[in-house]
Amino acid sequence: MHVRWLIPAGAGLAALAPAAYATQYLSVEQAGRAAFPQATEFRAHAAPDAATAARLGAPPDWAPRVLEARGAGGRLGWLIVDQVLGKSELIRYALALDAAGAVRSLEVLDYRESHGGEVRLAPWRAQFVGKTARDPVVLNQDIRNISGATLSCRHLTDGVRRLLQLYNATLREAPEAP
Amino acid sequence: MRHLHRAAILAPLALAAALPAHADEAALQAEVEALRAELAALRDEVRQLRADRTAPAAVAATAAPVASTSAATPNPTPTRAEPATTLWGYGQLDYNRPTAHAADARADLSRAVIGFNHVFDEATRVYGELEWEHAVASAEDRGEVEVEQLYVEHALAPEYGLRAGLVLIPLGLLNEHHEPTQFYGVERNFVETAIIPTTWREGGVTGYGSTESGLRWNLGVTTGPDLGKWDPASDEGRASPLGSIHQELQLANAHDLSVFGALDWQGVPGLDVGGGVFTGRIGQATRKRSGGDANFPADDARLTLGEAHARWQTGPFDFAALYTRGSISHTQALNRGFLGQPTPVPKTFFGGYVQGAWRALEWNDSALVPFLRYEEFNTAASYAAQPPGLGTPAQPTQRVWTVGANYYLNPNVVFKIDYQDFRYDDAALNYGNRVDLGIGYQF
Repeated sequence: MHVRWLIPAGAGLAALAPAAYATQYLSVEQAGRAAFPQATEFRAHAAPDAATAARLGAPPDWAPRVLEARGAGGRLGWLIVDQVLGKSELIRYALALDAAGAVRSLEVLDYRESHGGEVRLAPWRAQFVGKTARDPVVLNQDIRNISGATLSCRHLTDGVRRLLQLYNATLREAPEAP
Repeated sequence: MRHLHRAAILAPLALAAALPAHADEAALQAEVEALRAELAALRDEVRQLRADRTAPAAVAATAAPVASTSAATPNPTPTRAEPATTLWGYGQLDYNRPTAHAADARADLSRAVIGFNHVFDEATRVYGELEWEHAVASAEDRGEVEVEQLYVEHALAPEYGLRAGLVLIPLGLLNEHHEPTQFYGVERNFVETAIIPTTWREGGVTGYGSTESGLRWNLGVTTGPDLGKWDPASDEGRASPLGSIHQELQLANAHDLSVFGALDWQGVPGLDVGGGVFTGRIGQATRKRSGGDANFPADDARLTLGEAHARWQTGPFDFAALYTRGSISHTQALNRGFLGQPTPVPKTFFGGYVQGAWRALEWNDSALVPFLRYEEFNTAASYAAQPPGLGTPAQPTQRVWTVGANYYLNPNVVFKIDYQDFRYDDAALNYGNRVDLGIGYQF
């Protein structure tokens, strides 16, 4: 292959480049509406306290954002935004739980790393749907791995399990917002 | 006045001393409880504030379609500060003991690697991997210092982008993911060492991307091997034809560029099916270039290497299979000049393996994973025809069984043991039945 062929090839690639760029796959708002189309409001709920974080074995700066999805008939479920380390950078994701604590959806909001981005593939994320705190939610047990993205798969799986345990520890008994 | 001051100080002290001890403790206890409650409230408030700062207080839902409102609400920034530069790494220490020649037993710090990732902006990063092989590298030692990857990546969209620099060729299961925790057995498998020369990297520009359905693609224009570097007197070409002529972007002769394309489909969780092709002329204008060999007869030689693989990870089981085949054209005249030498340039070479692993025991973060692998490979399956009586016979196909276990102390630290059974011995290529022990880690 001759170098001169690279010039038209490069010009073609440059034409593909969009004017603006964002690493974000989905916003919190989009994730919330996709999981709870009938929601009329997402109300902020108290973040887990330090004692709960310690009990769940969370990292020291763990600060998931907890939103209560509400519809005309009251509580529809929960949308929890959290992040975990992939290989060397953070993966931010939104976990939607129904009112009984079962996973409705898992959405990867941001993924920045050079490798391992396959965790955003829909078929892989679909494995979590229906899981509750009673399920193992462990990689290579009830969650299958993606070849070449093991660290991202493992850390995201661990993160979801922690949020399911958070539901079990605090959200399950939380009184409905007035 | 001084007496008054003294009285003011002493009076409460005297009063305090006169109070019963239990009243003092009770008051103190109450105060501690009040402070503790206040501290807990403050801590929760800080956590709430931190969370509030990173996401909108509440997301108002509307009936508008999801896609049309993507820009309506500013996206929260990450809740934890991310450093622009992050480090990662891995290492591998091996012990090999040939069963028939225990005197040749050897221990080696085979790899110590530091990698880095620096983010310039949301779309642009530089990614690098620096490696020390065999512990010590100097003019008198056999170790090497290598740059295994060094590229700038620019995402054109979340789903696709470009890389430019020294990149790993995305062929096979191991070349891009070669950390010791990622493979079974102390040493990397032979097929992805002798035929696909892991860690195979070239300089160039590549495009990458993936789709929601699980299709991952890679295309690239890169430098290629240099056939002008072939040494017919050495065993290196028999050990790995491409490993002996790869350039690793070390003052690489770059008249001829190569192209590659690779596809992987991971649309079913646990399944990976893929393959790829790398092809290019590898003569590198040896005949014409300054300081080249004016009589070099293989400027038009072309390398083509194809590969297909499948991996299925389900529950405690991990199955993998891979086949790869390569060819080098226009070697007839070149090999005529190598007559009498032990290592002419092969016309074809191939290899394949099947492997099964079972996560037999698992407790806390630890796991014991026995495995079995069967490999066949031939680094010189055929040579270009030579006049009768002058040609070199093709190499015999090597067959290796490897049985062993990976013990993961945790997912990032592994201890390994295996036994390898070879169809035939070849001391020059380090082929011979052996027991291997290893330690590996990554972070």
